[in-house]
Amino acid sequence: MIKINHLTKDYGQKRGVFDFTFEVQRGEVFGFLGPNGAGKTTTIRHLMGFIHPNAGNCSINGLDCGTHSAEIQRNLGYMPGEIALPDDMTGLDFLHFMADYRGVTDWTRVEQLMMRFELDVRGNLKRMSKGMKQKIGIVCAFMHDPQVLILDEPTSGLDPLMQNHFIDLVLEEKSKGKTILMSSHIFEEVERTADRVGIIREGHLVTVDSVAALKAAQRKRYTVSFASEKEAQAFAKEPLAVDLVKGQEVTVTVNDFQPFVAAMSRYTVVNIVAVEQSLEEIFMHYYGK
Amino acid sequence: MNTTLFKRELRSSYKLWLIFIAILAMYISVIISMFDPKLGETLDLFAKAMPEMMSLFGMGETGATLIDFLSNYLYGMLMIVFPMVFIIMLANRLVVAHVDSGSMTYLLASPNTRRKVAFTQMFVLLSMTFVLLVICVGIAIGVSEAMFPGALVIGDFLWLNLGLVCLLFALCGYCFFISCISNETGKAVMFGAGVPTFFYLVQMLANMGGKLADLKYATIFTLFNPKAIIAGDTSAWWMCGALVVIGAIFFVVGIARFEKRDLPL
Repeated sequence: MIKINHLTKDYGQKRGVFDFTFEVQRGEVFGFLGPNGAGKTTTIRHLMGFIHPNAGNCSINGLDCGTHSAEIQRNLGYMPGEIALPDDMTGLDFLHFMADYRGVTDWTRVEQLMMRFELDVRGNLKRMSKGMKQKIGIVCAFMHDPQVLILDEPTSGLDPLMQNHFIDLVLEEKSKGKTILMSSHIFEEVERTADRVGIIREGHLVTVDSVAALKAAQRKRYTVSFASEKEAQAFAKEPLAVDLVKGQEVTVTVNDFQPFVAAMSRYTVVNIVAVEQSLEEIFMHYYGK
Repeated sequence: MNTTLFKRELRSSYKLWLIFIAILAMYISVIISMFDPKLGETLDLFAKAMPEMMSLFGMGETGATLIDFLSNYLYGMLMIVFPMVFIIMLANRLVVAHVDSGSMTYLLASPNTRRKVAFTQMFVLLSMTFVLLVICVGIAIGVSEAMFPGALVIGDFLWLNLGLVCLLFALCGYCFFISCISNETGKAVMFGAGVPTFFYLVQMLANMGGKLADLKYATIFTLFNPKAIIAGDTSAWWMCGALVVIGAIFFVVGIARFEKRDLPL
């Protein structure tokens, strides 16, 4: 459905995308993960026809992204990484404009989306909060019920409740057989919706794998706080993979939970915090570096 | 052309448009009111009595009739410069401002091709400029007839304005071209305003006559020659034709570049 073929765009100083090849199947949710500046937005800009590659090509539904952009857009919904809305309209005027401009005749879907995300559109766009603008972006992307969706960091600016609503929306669309490419630098966002994930870093596609495989590759780390430094140091001597001892806290990497829990039960544990694994760590672990 | 976009751009810029119409209306009225038909009659008598003296002063046929008066005092600067500023501002609002701010994303993430968007914006620019001019012409004629009934040769006056349309068309083309190839509003204003201003200054220098008179070949404003148009010279008409061709070339190249280039969206 979405085909990217040896896509290359060199901006100099190692920035850009270099020889990307991957495919998003029809009905699949594909997560595009990478740190800031890795090349996610550059790839998406190629898909949208905003920029043209130095080498390679990309197509959606068999149509070339560069030459057939308008035709592709008929059935595509897009959420840009930066929501840049005009200054001189109200939210409602803007949505009406976008609907007319695109030829959307059924306003009910827009209303449903507005209600679902609790979108108050009466105010001037200039004065809206980031979160509100992001919600307008969501409505614009989904209002015409497109078959393909390209979402660049879609939950940025949304509060946790709205993030959940959004994830529900994506899962609903997936169940209707839509094809979705979603980019993010937050693993959790992608974890709940994607089937496969492509990880990119410094312009190179590091790996494409299923979400399950990536989750399995994640290390589980916990920071345990004890009642005293003495207990912490004693715990650190247990046969566990101890990463760090700091004051009353010990950070442990856990593969097998039973010995970990058994060891903890012999001490006075005050607190346990799961250490979130950063994207870097996922990559590095995945490659055994 | 996309009518939704067309209407929206009109709504977005009509206040600017009205301001320019108001300013021009005021200046036109004031200038017309400063015309003195008696001066023309006096000069005529003088010319009959001492023709050599009059041509020595180069006052053979200048400033005497209302249309000559307007040609000098309105069509030398005001009717060129004010519309030019409007054109520069509007041309920028229509393309580069959208690209610079990122709102062009929403115009292009749609079933509308870049060509359609560009053409729509071009029509906005041309129609607003043209109607602005039409209104000004109407006001000029209205005020002239009110203050000096019958003094203005309306046919010649309309030809004069048709020539002005050609000049403004060329300016629209150039400013739109700059807007289409630029990514930043600042640069676009610099080139969009800078080059025409430079050419205009060159023309002013050329008007001072003497050795500087040859500078008239260095500026496109020379192609708009109010006196020649009023007099019905054929040279005036091929010059206006050249202006139309220049405008058209800029529009075509500008839109073609906009269609193909990378956009920072």
